[in-house]
Amino acid sequence: MKMKKTLTSFIVAFLLSALWLSSVSAVELKVFAAASLTDAMRKVGAMYEKAGGDKVVFNFGASSTLARQIEEGAPADLFVSADEIQADKLDKAGLLLHDTRVSLLSNLLVIVVPKESKLVIQSPGDLLGDAVKRISMGEPRTVPIGVYAKAYLVSKGLWARLESKVVPTENVRSALAAVETWNVEAGFVYRTDALISRKVRIAYTVPAGDGPKVSYPFAVVKGTENLAASKKFLEYLGSKDALGIFEQYGFAVK
Amino acid sequence: MDETWHIVWFTLGSALLSMVVILPIGLPLAWLLARKEWPGKSIVETIIALPLVMPPVATGLILLKVAGRRGFIGSFLHEHFDMDIIFTWRAVVLALAVMSFPLLVRSLRVALEGVSPRLEGVARTLGASPLRVFFTVTLPLAARGIIAGVVLAFARALGEFGATVLIAGNIPGRTSTLAVSTYLYIQLGQDDAAWKLVAISISFAFVAVWLSEWLGRKQRVTV
Amino acid sequence: MIYFSAQVFLPLNHFPLEVAFEARDLVTGVFGPSGCGKTSLLESICGLRSPTRARIELRGRLLADAAKGISLLPEKRNIGLVPQDLALFPHLNVRQNILYGVKKGAPTIHLDHIMEVLEIGSLLPRPIHSLSGGEKQRVAFARALLASPELLILDEPLSSLNFALKQKIVTYLIRIRDEFKIPMLYVSHDPLEIMELCQEVLIMEEGKMIHRGKPGDLFRSCLSPVH
Repeated sequence: MKMKKTLTSFIVAFLLSALWLSSVSAVELKVFAAASLTDAMRKVGAMYEKAGGDKVVFNFGASSTLARQIEEGAPADLFVSADEIQADKLDKAGLLLHDTRVSLLSNLLVIVVPKESKLVIQSPGDLLGDAVKRISMGEPRTVPIGVYAKAYLVSKGLWARLESKVVPTENVRSALAAVETWNVEAGFVYRTDALISRKVRIAYTVPAGDGPKVSYPFAVVKGTENLAASKKFLEYLGSKDALGIFEQYGFAVK
Repeated sequence: MDETWHIVWFTLGSALLSMVVILPIGLPLAWLLARKEWPGKSIVETIIALPLVMPPVATGLILLKVAGRRGFIGSFLHEHFDMDIIFTWRAVVLALAVMSFPLLVRSLRVALEGVSPRLEGVARTLGASPLRVFFTVTLPLAARGIIAGVVLAFARALGEFGATVLIAGNIPGRTSTLAVSTYLYIQLGQDDAAWKLVAISISFAFVAVWLSEWLGRKQRVTV
Repeated sequence: MIYFSAQVFLPLNHFPLEVAFEARDLVTGVFGPSGCGKTSLLESICGLRSPTRARIELRGRLLADAAKGISLLPEKRNIGLVPQDLALFPHLNVRQNILYGVKKGAPTIHLDHIMEVLEIGSLLPRPIHSLSGGEKQRVAFARALLASPELLILDEPLSSLNFALKQKIVTYLIRIRDEFKIPMLYVSHDPLEIMELCQEVLIMEEGKMIHRGKPGDLFRSCLSPVH
């Protein structure tokens, strides 16, 4: 009986100290970043850790979804959006450290089709053809890729006629997957997403001057508990090493 | 307000259609499970129960694979009938059907098991074929439980989200169900609209579950 | 003459049911304690259970023969069953219940005759749940009889009734026996019922038939009705 009591108290003590130790361990930065940055950011984060920096944990998704989560109090240290609109939303609500906000990257819009598709798109107007039944893009009302795509098609006078073909998706990667699986004939994604996928090909690249200006603002979230560490990582993201990685993946450095 | 009504009617219609699809399959299956022993029965029972236990998006992913244009069923339909499932209203009905199927079979089975096999046996000795026994004895006595089961499955279909959003998306006017639209409104920051849909969803769920419970309390007549 | 013969082998929970007999009397009784396999025997003869080995013949017609791979479906055996709990259809009224088994074309037993013998004419439109114990009993008999069975099996039909009611119903059974002359297999654990109705009785214990003979001879010692 005494043996059992000793054993129990030993286990409890062990568990408690393990819990305490884990909370006292090194800083873990939570970065909420746009889905299109998934692969590049992961690589940069790994590099940072290897170079002796803090551990970085990512939450990738549609910038609109992430912004909403931060609004509801999700514990984020950094926010990287795929458009200024979502960052403005949080900034206005006082949820970002405005002084830290910096737009580091840009991207290009492309129209992708399944790799073996015979579809030819020489201009966005070709999307009107019967061969294109459905076009995937992020939800045009909130997800940046959708917002950009809609703005572009509006500027070309095509949106009204194409709207019925649009399949809104959760985020840019879902739009990509829809094309990869042949469930839509074409989709709007960022050039960087198209480069990553082996199952799609770029049918048309929206020229930089022709389309909307894609911009990725980076900022430290106001509610962060790791201010110094967050600023440090943000600085790193703007460093030559990090930007070089982004360029490798096809992002344009501003 | 217009949009809201469209969403509500579309959801009700899709759920109803999904019931029409799964009832003719679920009832014979429930009977086989309730009354007969056969090889592989436990495996079939487990497979039927899977959508009930698996994360809905996981089920949705499987459906995406099978019903997509490159999938087993999807490619067949696309090639021979120029018919697509994914991202159309058919995907909504499919998702609702698959996700509420386990609940339906389960409820139907319980309803059928509630009918005394001795009654069925005596009916047989009176010269009735198994089919006649089913329609004149089993079904009438299980009717309340069956309706309760359908109502419950219908309620489940009304609230389905995970698989639906994956294979049907949220195409305004085409595949917007109550649950999926609520999610979108939250994304858009239109909380008022979202709460309106939530209130509607709760009302439907409340009525459906209450009705199902009330029917389930069949009056047992002792003979 | 042999009304029917049955050879049944069926493994049960604690012992196998192993019975072989020929019924040479109109009403054959089966007597035994509960759990001795009586109900399983009845279900096997009706076709509601599939014995491992069986050979059942009714008036020269082969109902089941395991060796030849024959096993007629219950609905084809023409054997009426009145189970212990009567199994009246609760969702149908009396008339619908008793007419359930009537075959189109050749009703050899007429509704009027039954109604007269069993005195159920006034009960026809009533729902089952409104009937008394005795009334339900008679309705169950009527239902089985109207299907014109070649063999009628009654499984402890009076066990749930009080003594006075039992006496009353026994008179109906005697009427049925004498009026319709259908071979019956009557299961009971009450020696008095068996003595009144049956011309022969089989005594069962643990799945086997251990005695057969005239009820009077076998139950000589059971003359006092304390049970």
